[in-house]
Amino acid sequence: MRKLLFILLLSSWNGAELYRIYHLLKKKRLLFDDHFTLVICMTISMLTSFLFTMYFILLFPGFYGASLLFGAGVGWNFGKLLRNPAQLNGLYNGAIGGAMGTMLGAVLQNPALCRIPVESAAAMDLSAIPFAASCFYACILLSIRYSLRI
Amino acid sequence: MKEVTLLYLLTIDILLCGILFVYVFRRKKWVGIQLGMNISQAMGGVAALLAGIVLILAFPFHFSLITITSAAIGAAAGAAFGLLFDYQTCLAGVTNGFMVGIMAPMLGSVLDMPGQIILFVHGLFLFCFLFIIISIQRS
Repeated sequence: MRKLLFILLLSSWNGAELYRIYHLLKKKRLLFDDHFTLVICMTISMLTSFLFTMYFILLFPGFYGASLLFGAGVGWNFGKLLRNPAQLNGLYNGAIGGAMGTMLGAVLQNPALCRIPVESAAAMDLSAIPFAASCFYACILLSIRYSLRI
Repeated sequence: MKEVTLLYLLTIDILLCGILFVYVFRRKKWVGIQLGMNISQAMGGVAALLAGIVLILAFPFHFSLITITSAAIGAAAGAAFGLLFDYQTCLAGVTNGFMVGIMAPMLGSVLDMPGQIILFVHGLFLFCFLFIIISIQRS
C-alpha cells in the first residue's frame, strides 16, 4: 500500500511537470525549425509514454492493451501539437516507449518472468527504478526548457 | 561464461569506445548535423546494450542496481558523443541511451544460451565502429 502511494506521488509530480511544459510548447511552437521540432518530439514523446505506461501498469496490473494505446495516444498528441515533420515520428516513438514501459512494469510486478533468482526477488524493491526514472525525466524536462532559451 | 572473461570483454569495449571518441573528437569539424545525430544515437544505444547484457550476466543477483547503472552508462555515452556537435544532438543521444539501457538487463536475464548473444552484440558493436569510421572518412 505504501509503495502504491509512493508511485502515485511520483506520477502526480511528473504529471504537473508535463502540464507545464505542454503549455510552454503550445505557446512557443511557431518559433521552431524542422530539426529542432523533430528532436523535441522524439525526446518528449518517448520518455513520457515510457514513464506513464510504467506507472499505469504498476497501479492497475493487467491492463496491457490499454497502456499500449495510451502510449501511442501520448505520442500522437505531441506530434499534433508540434505539426508537420514530427507527427509520424511522435506516433512511432510513443508506441515504442509504451511497449517498453509495459514490459518493465510487468517485470517489476512479477520478477519470475525474467528468471531473476528467487533469493534476490525479495531484495529487489519496487520503488528504486521508478524513482530513478522520474528523477531522470525531471532533468530532461529541465534541459528541454533550457534548450528553448538558447 | 566466467565472470572474469565477461569483465575483460567489458574493459575492451570501454577502450574501443574511448578510441572512437578520440577519433571523432579530432575530426568533428568534418561531421555534419545529420551524421552527428546518427553517431550519438548509435553509440549511446550500443554502449547501453553492451553494459546491460554483460553486467547482468556477470552479477545476476542485483537487478535494480544494474538497470540504473546501465541506463546511466547509456545516457553518459550518448551525452558525451552528442556534446561534440550540438545541444539538440546531445538531447537525442541521452534519450536513446537511457531507453536502451533500461531494456538491456531485462533481455540479458531471460537468455538461455548467453554465449551466442554476447557474440552477436559484440559483432554489432564492431560493425557500428567500422561503419562510423567509414562514413566519417567519406564525408
